[in-house]
Amino acid sequence: MERTSVSKPRAWRDLGARVSMVVPAVLVYVALLVVPVIYAIYYSFTEYNGFPHRVPEFIGLDNYRTMFGSDDITGTMVVTAVVAVVGAVAVNLAALGLALLLQRTNRFNTFGRVVMFYPHVLSALVVGFLWQAILGPQGVVNTMLEKVGTDSLPFLSDPDWALWSMILVIVWSLFGVQLILYLAGLQAVPADLLEAARIDGASPWQTFRAVTWPSLASTVTVAVITSGISLLKTYDVVVSLTGSGPAGSTKTLAYSILAVSFPQRDIGLASAQAVLLIVAAAVLAITVLVLRRRAEDDAESIG
Amino acid sequence: MTMTSTNRGSKARGAALAAVVPLLLVAACSSGSGSAEGEDGEIRMMVNLTDNLNQAYWEKLVKPFEDETGLKVKIEGPTGKSVAESFPQQLAAGTAPDVIQSIFPDDDTAPELIDLGGEAWAKGTPMFDEYAMGDAHYAVGVGTQTQSLIYYNKTAFEKAGISGPPTTWDELTKDLGALEKAGYTPMQTAGDFQTGLQLQQIYHPTLNQLHPKWQTAVADDRLSVGDAYKPAFQMYADWIEAGYIGKSDVGLSPSQADGNFTAGKVGLYTNGSWFAASLDKAGDLPFEVGVFSPPAAEGQAYPGPQGATMANPYMIRKGIGDEDGAKQLVEYLVTDAKAVEAQLGSDGVFRKGAESKQSGVDAQIQGILDDAPALVAVGEGQGNVRLPVTGFNPKFTEVAQSLYTGAGPADAAKSIDQWVDENR
Repeated sequence: MERTSVSKPRAWRDLGARVSMVVPAVLVYVALLVVPVIYAIYYSFTEYNGFPHRVPEFIGLDNYRTMFGSDDITGTMVVTAVVAVVGAVAVNLAALGLALLLQRTNRFNTFGRVVMFYPHVLSALVVGFLWQAILGPQGVVNTMLEKVGTDSLPFLSDPDWALWSMILVIVWSLFGVQLILYLAGLQAVPADLLEAARIDGASPWQTFRAVTWPSLASTVTVAVITSGISLLKTYDVVVSLTGSGPAGSTKTLAYSILAVSFPQRDIGLASAQAVLLIVAAAVLAITVLVLRRRAEDDAESIG
Repeated sequence: MTMTSTNRGSKARGAALAAVVPLLLVAACSSGSGSAEGEDGEIRMMVNLTDNLNQAYWEKLVKPFEDETGLKVKIEGPTGKSVAESFPQQLAAGTAPDVIQSIFPDDDTAPELIDLGGEAWAKGTPMFDEYAMGDAHYAVGVGTQTQSLIYYNKTAFEKAGISGPPTTWDELTKDLGALEKAGYTPMQTAGDFQTGLQLQQIYHPTLNQLHPKWQTAVADDRLSVGDAYKPAFQMYADWIEAGYIGKSDVGLSPSQADGNFTAGKVGLYTNGSWFAASLDKAGDLPFEVGVFSPPAAEGQAYPGPQGATMANPYMIRKGIGDEDGAKQLVEYLVTDAKAVEAQLGSDGVFRKGAESKQSGVDAQIQGILDDAPALVAVGEGQGNVRLPVTGFNPKFTEVAQSLYTGAGPADAAKSIDQWVDENR
């Protein structure tokens, strides 16, 4: 009885201490992230120009109908999906491959890691302008091709070439962070398992497949989700590299929100597009997590 | 097992939430209110910052006003890509400046602006009436920027055996062929915003002869944009097909296109009067520059109406702390002789009756402006002559670029009409 009466106040105090530590973070999170999203969802059902004196007019699903009925916007969805899927695969393959090459610590690899991370330090706008000077019709590459008597290549002037050029540039600018993630992940691969594989006579590929890859599962999940979301939000490189052209062939959903719908003060439509991006990001994250879980379950059942 | 599943589920939800968080910020951009005032005695003015009109230029321009009135003018560049993009965003966020330069009012922004129609000093400013919305006058400017000009290389014309600037579309097409044979790029175009702008610029006089106040006709459903521009699309497509316009130009930056012209590689280059400032900045060129007004429609008098916009427009936001100070500043900028002269000499701005020093190219442009039978609204339009949609110029650029990438004139016309219908 006595013990219970002493422990109850302590339990309440502990609970109070925990709550007091959590509440500020929850309040900041709700105020800065949850409330704006709720506003965005609300605005997506309204016609509104964003100005304080105007009252948003409720129009139901009209913005969503406009969004999915407009060739313009559905075209941006397709471009965004291509950029996100192809870009995420390319970024992660490049980052993982380089991480495997640079995982051992020596002077050359340390230098190599710095060089590989360098593109991520640059502003995405600078990256776009830089690559425009390289890939443009009168850029470095085409000038050199002309000097050696070869036809120039339409990196930025053909719709298909421009899209792939843009993906290449985005991959170049993004893979630095993924490289760091994979390097960190590789440090966590159990050394005794690698040693055991080596003693058992496993080839490098067999070691990678049986030991390294399963150990990197969490890293891969985080890297794919973070890179996928970065790619879904592609905006700056579009502005500075292609300006969404030629003929809108590189116009992404984020560009459409920030450079088209917002400047036109179509806040309702912009919000509907933003909601779609949030849903796409959530679907991407959940899909990757489900796939990983399924792979783990399969591995456990085989084991 | 249960524990593991729960943990997995919880981790999955946590990771999914963490993954979604950065995107929430995108949506967060759509909310916000409040107001931002400058410090006491300070007027915040958002201006268009360019190579010619940089921060130092603006600060020097307002310095005499500051010295005379004791008011401080804080020059601010756009926080986004442009003033047009930044001003509405700042209005929504409650951080909009007091005075806004370089853009014009529309139905959304007009209620946020002060009507300057009652100010005696405003009434004599250039294009005051053309920019009226109903009976209200929200913008006052320093002069006129002429939009529809074709700059040409006189040396190239001589080498190609062309006796003088063309006045009909057939003559222009023949001249393009002659320039190509003489080894020049017949007509320089560019990517980015310039693709659509140039096509509009070259076609303004014809379009406004065939369909006066065409923006109003579109608004009243008497004309479609596709029908209005189809002949221009056809002509452009023919020139691209013939090689008079480089297909790769669509990936070229406007500054590179400027550079090609000033390097003497090009016969014709469509641009606005502001290009005269770039020519001045380029120094001595290896050729003499000529300027002419684009051809007129068949059977119509030449020259046709000039596409023109109010140059250096200024607007004042409603509800600011020092409304009188802001009005004094705008009055100074659009009426003070020295301030006007400084602005006329800065970026291809022209004003009737102004006695500013003019280069040879400037004098030719002044002549074109003086000879124009009318000054007409361009692009989306202005004042009471406007299209029923916003965002016309970027969309038109997209459509014009499609002519470079394989679309036909009919496709282009259909595409712009579809967009107008979706956004009307």
